[in-house]
Amino acid sequence: MLELKNVTTEIAGTTILRDVSFSVSKGSMVGLIGRNGAGKTTSLRSIMGLIKPKAGQVLINGEDMTNQGSYERAGMSIGYMPEDRRLVPDLTVEENIMAPAWACQLGNAEARLAWIYEMMPEVESFSDRRALQLSGGQQKLVALARAMMTGTNLLLLDEPFEGVAPALSRRLASVLSTLKDEGLTVLLSESDQSHSADLVDKAFQIERGSVEPIASLT
Amino acid sequence: MKTRSLALLFVFGLVVIAGGLLLPQWMSYLFTIAMGKGLVVLGLVLLMRAGLVSFGQGLYYCVGAYVAGMLTQFVGVTDILVIMLASVAVSVAIAAIIGLLLCRYREIFFAMFSMAFSMILYGLLVRNQFLGSTDGFNVANPSLLGWTPGAEASSDLVLIVAVFLVIVLGAVAWRYLKSLSGYAGEAVRENEIRLEYLGGSVFRVVYVKYIIAAGLAAIGGTITALVSGHVDPEMAYWTTSGEFVFIALMGGTAHVAAPIVAAVLFEALRTYAFAVSPYTWQMILGFALLAIILFMPSGLWSLVERFQNKKARKTS
Repeated sequence: MLELKNVTTEIAGTTILRDVSFSVSKGSMVGLIGRNGAGKTTSLRSIMGLIKPKAGQVLINGEDMTNQGSYERAGMSIGYMPEDRRLVPDLTVEENIMAPAWACQLGNAEARLAWIYEMMPEVESFSDRRALQLSGGQQKLVALARAMMTGTNLLLLDEPFEGVAPALSRRLASVLSTLKDEGLTVLLSESDQSHSADLVDKAFQIERGSVEPIASLT
Repeated sequence: MKTRSLALLFVFGLVVIAGGLLLPQWMSYLFTIAMGKGLVVLGLVLLMRAGLVSFGQGLYYCVGAYVAGMLTQFVGVTDILVIMLASVAVSVAIAAIIGLLLCRYREIFFAMFSMAFSMILYGLLVRNQFLGSTDGFNVANPSLLGWTPGAEASSDLVLIVAVFLVIVLGAVAWRYLKSLSGYAGEAVRENEIRLEYLGGSVFRVVYVKYIIAAGLAAIGGTITALVSGHVDPEMAYWTTSGEFVFIALMGGTAHVAAPIVAAVLFEALRTYAFAVSPYTWQMILGFALLAIILFMPSGLWSLVERFQNKKARKTS
């Protein structure tokens, strides 16, 4: 499904990822665990094509995506939830969730939206509110819902539990658990394993841009 | 757009044409020039809504004008429709090539690169004796579908075509801005990375807008060339492009009508400023722009929005 081969990424001349290689098989949930500044966000951004790796390859479904545009990933049913949510503040929750469907001209957007609402009924309850009226935790849920709109092949979640109240964290974990049961492929990053330990099938430790498998979770 | 709105727009167009034809010659001339510049600024506004300020729309304005001039003088083609199509085709072809490079840049780099290309054209034209160097050359009167009007009627013909194009292209631009592609411009301005990971190609959005803006600028240049009967390299000079930015700032980017209204006001203001103070007219324009920036940072169209908001509050 997803494979990184010797990926090295630099930002403004500083090497952030060093020869990173790991893979995520179809239908599995994989964690990328590391402290702040270890390179988690850069890893996900490199996978999404938002930062072009200096060396190495990003393979998705066997296709080399290293030089492809980020928008082409969304077209390949890959959903991305950035750490800072990045909702459009003036749009309603539903419009935010539908935005990738409009951009990718998805044919089954309504069915997909119904599935998302079924999965997260609380999002439906505030679907007509503007994104700027939501709390940080609610925005996380909406960002996840937006990623789920296109993410039928692969979901990339950047620190989904970060800055979220414990009750909402548990809710997020339960949604992710349901996604796992439905067979979605998910790669999520977290600073420790406090929330993801029970969810993931496999985990990798990232430290100073180098990735190693965590033995207890492989 | 509803049928009623289209009918109203059509009637409005007829009224404007009738009004324009009744104006004294010098005023209808200025009005036609304003229509041409308004179309150029409409294209610029499309780019500005995507967060890009071009200081090089003079390039396509000049290309459109020179294509019109060359067709009438050297090829003998005077049909205004053929001239318009040829001007747009040449400008779009040039924009399609230059845009591949330019649309990768943002902010000041986009502004300066766009200006650099228009100055390259200026330099080429100034050195070209065949095209009249700094003097430029005259443009023959246009015809329409075999009908060749006299000298005075030809400027009326350009006025009618200009108003028709402003109405039609304005309506199309309005529809475009309400479409997904139109909104994509604002998405680029707000956050390019977000648009990319949501599935929109930022480059494609900017490239398409750049090409549309080039086409509109070419039409504006053609209108100016045909109504003034003359073209010169000044049309590609950076001050001409700066004038378009000036008009765009005056009108604002909130509505497609804003650049057209602003272009008419700009021409009127400049004419009267020149009449009142022939040596310091630029200072009057400068103060006018300063006042607009200070009191209406979103341009003159913000007055309309204020009025609409007031009306909406009263209704509710």
